[in-house]
Amino acid sequence: MKQLDAQASDETSRQRVATRAVDTLCPYCGVGCAVTYVADVDHNRIVHAIGRDGAANAGRLCVKGRYGHDYASHPQRLTRPLIRLQNAYPKGQLSPMEQRPGKPGGPVEHDAVLPHFREASWDEALQVVADRLLGIRESHGSDALAGFGSAKGSNEEAYLFQKLVRAVLGTNNVDHCTRLCHASSVAALLESMGSAAVTNVVRDVARADVAILTGCNPTENHPVAATFIKDAAAAGTRLIVINSRRPQIADYAALYLPIRPGTDVALYNAMLHVIIRDDLLDHAFIRERTEGFEAVAEAVREVTPAAAERICGVPAADIEQAARMLGEANAAMFFWGMGISQHTRGTDNARCLISLAMVTGNVGRPGTGLHPLRGQNNVQGASDAGLIPMVYPDYQRVDDPAVQERFERDWGVPLSPRPGLTVTEIISAARDGDVRGMYILGENPFISDPDVNKVREGLANLDFLVVQDIFLTETAEFADVILPASSFMEKAGSYTNTDRRVQLGAPVLQPPGEARQDWELICEIAQRMGYPMAYDSVADVFDEFAACTESYASLSHAALGLRGRWYPCSNPETSDGEPIVFGDAFPRGPAMLVATRFTPADEQPDGDFPLVLSTGRVLEHWHTGTMTRRSAALDTLAPDASVELNPTDARKLGISDGQQVRVTSRRGTITLMAELSEAVLPGTVFIPMHFREACANLLTNPAVDPWGKIPGFKFCAVRVEAAREAA
Amino acid sequence: MDTVTLQIDGHTLTVPAGTTIWDAAASIGITIPALCHDPRMAPVGVCRLCAVDIGARTLVAACVRACEDDMEVHTSTEQVVDDRRTLLELLLADYPEDSRREAATGDDELLALARAHGIEAIPYPDGAIGQPRGEDHSSAVIAVDHQACILCDRCIRGCNALQHNDVLTRTGKGHTTRIAFDLDTPMGESTCVACGECAAVCPTGALTNRALAGLQLMTEEQS
Ligand code: SF4
Ligand code: SF4
Ligand code: FES
Repeated sequence: MKQLDAQASDETSRQRVATRAVDTLCPYCGVGCAVTYVADVDHNRIVHAIGRDGAANAGRLCVKGRYGHDYASHPQRLTRPLIRLQNAYPKGQLSPMEQRPGKPGGPVEHDAVLPHFREASWDEALQVVADRLLGIRESHGSDALAGFGSAKGSNEEAYLFQKLVRAVLGTNNVDHCTRLCHASSVAALLESMGSAAVTNVVRDVARADVAILTGCNPTENHPVAATFIKDAAAAGTRLIVINSRRPQIADYAALYLPIRPGTDVALYNAMLHVIIRDDLLDHAFIRERTEGFEAVAEAVREVTPAAAERICGVPAADIEQAARMLGEANAAMFFWGMGISQHTRGTDNARCLISLAMVTGNVGRPGTGLHPLRGQNNVQGASDAGLIPMVYPDYQRVDDPAVQERFERDWGVPLSPRPGLTVTEIISAARDGDVRGMYILGENPFISDPDVNKVREGLANLDFLVVQDIFLTETAEFADVILPASSFMEKAGSYTNTDRRVQLGAPVLQPPGEARQDWELICEIAQRMGYPMAYDSVADVFDEFAACTESYASLSHAALGLRGRWYPCSNPETSDGEPIVFGDAFPRGPAMLVATRFTPADEQPDGDFPLVLSTGRVLEHWHTGTMTRRSAALDTLAPDASVELNPTDARKLGISDGQQVRVTSRRGTITLMAELSEAVLPGTVFIPMHFREACANLLTNPAVDPWGKIPGFKFCAVRVEAAREAA
Repeated sequence: MDTVTLQIDGHTLTVPAGTTIWDAAASIGITIPALCHDPRMAPVGVCRLCAVDIGARTLVAACVRACEDDMEVHTSTEQVVDDRRTLLELLLADYPEDSRREAATGDDELLALARAHGIEAIPYPDGAIGQPRGEDHSSAVIAVDHQACILCDRCIRGCNALQHNDVLTRTGKGHTTRIAFDLDTPMGESTCVACGECAAVCPTGALTNRALAGLQLMTEEQS
């Protein structure tokens, strides 16, 4: 008879694995799901994931958190410092950009790139880094240096990195990928409220009557957040979904508005027009909590729904209905994503959403608020920690003499009063020879930045580039020195999610080979450049960071514990922190409402380039694919790039589903598979950004928003044509 | 707020009206066995493992039955325990020889309950012969063994009520009733987004993490 003790009977056929379970976080998106990873101790790899009861996820996970953890033990992990060989100069890209016939696509060709470097000792590599950076500082001045930090790093790493750039390299040229994602939202929110953090948490949507979801695709990009939004919809919250590419969450919407790309301002101004015309305003809120309403009212006076329809393509009746639903709601919440921010008028788009929320009194109460969905797991924290060229930690301006004096006192060195360059400006400056040395920690601008050909010229033109990362990234191909770093799974640190929840990540694995902790490497480079930087632990770094902010001042690693806290948090002993902020006042005082006028996108389609390309992400992949394309499960689920094309356009072009096509913009051409989809509007196409062999950013336009300096990834003109059969 | 006062195993307690017996018991530290119930989900009352004695004509399912004033609940009388043991034996009747969950992570809830009730062997070992309900290995991440499914509905609620992916459902009749993806397509070809919620909430070896095939996870102390 079959005995129940299956483990005993099955013993011979199964490999017994000693495991350790560690409570930590998912390394991917800004939702910040709490997870327990179960590691195979002897083989230093994660074998299983279990959702934890975190504030943001209540045990739920998505495919990336649940199955995307194996990248950390991929055999291509960097394990020793690398120095570029003499014969690999002059610098350039070392592995082919396009997919070779018969060669499966994938990230950088590790085996082709590695032979251009030799292994070095830590001592040699770090000394080269320190000497070369010092040399450039001496010969060309501090502003010839720049650093890119990363929103995938911890708060502690972000703090130390910006401190190194400011106090040791001596420049404010420090930025990170927030520039590519929400810089315009941040600009608009800072301008209006004096703070760029979300005003309420995702799960507060349960208490909203209406939720506007615009320019976002939460089921793919914030999947667990999407489950709570769908919970709310099932319980009666009416969703208004606005997008030019129909997101799956539109299935749960009361109203879906398909909008022509780049015309958001027209739509929102028309909604404001209706709200003002029909007096759906919250007069008390406008009077007591805002300024600038008259200018907004004036700017939208002529923007009738009919006028807006001609620009944005949304039927006037739907605009009226959306405006009424919002105006009549007791509590309305605003979610937005890259479809708002990644435009050459991204700041104007966000200003409109802020105005809509403010004139209807929908900030600071349960179920109301402004929530730009943050992309990376720590984009909020990295910004809070000062990885931004204009501000020190906690958004204290570098050009404010009192602030400068304070940090000079704290850090013991003179600091630069000049705001630094942003991501795209640094790349241009590198191309022009003004920036000559760079330290890039955990970013991959060669794939993530617009107009990759320009990025390549910039990176190749640097006198010295040190890249600190866990894989040989596309960017590392241009490096002089590569430092093998620790992955998320190998380090301790705090991360701040889209809800302002500060949570602790904990090491699950040992770093492979000689790879080292990122924070220690930053400190060691600083030391070798003659600046004392030493801490006993990551917790001590957190304390120094927290002490120079208001938002984090009450927190410490001990206080964060296993569940974390929302900031602001008056007393972490007794409080979970504030899920909703600005109930009484904004940091700035009254919120400033800023009038906007519709301005067409930078690059309009024409006869040669008749279609509008928008880029974005897919559920299974993450940004430049460095991690997810090295995850067996995720790569199996989504192995290839494709371009989504409306069947109407496809018919005109004679293109069928699954066919190889060439997509060309004024900057480049890529070849990939066509996927016919009704989700994209006629006249528009969509390409995910993750795939090197079909690199969407070869096509994108580097023009930026004047305030946020964010590139307009969601809009460039392209043409699509059938590709000749590959030989 | 309306409250009701009742007794559970001799303890008197007052709970908000509408509280289930299962939740009330949990609040004073009494764990009533459950298979189909998960505190994160709305109860459906299909497995009957949580049946308790309230002095009524039949036992009632604690996970769905609301507390009433003056109720006297007995969660582990001889009759209740006997009843559970029989239910467990019936659920095990056509259970496959190897539970993938038990083999990999050792946390098959059906087998754990069976052991706790003194059941040492699958009682009607011929039940699974031929494994008529089959397996599905089309998903990249989740193994489906329909034979180990007890139709507790947790995966369906996990998919539809927790994650709102609306992929999982039931199909078939009688002995061939089973869970299905979309209109009964193989899991890997369905609209499944591989969030893994179904495998996370499944109490048996029916839905499991494929990556654990061939592994037996032990805590460091066990090994
Ligand atoms: S929703 Fe985001 S944080 Fe949560 S598991 Fe998915 S990728 Fe990770
Ligand atoms: S597959 Fe698992 S969770 Fe789904 S009904 Fe069967 S036993 Fe329950
Ligand atoms: S647990 Fe109550 S009927 Fe299944």
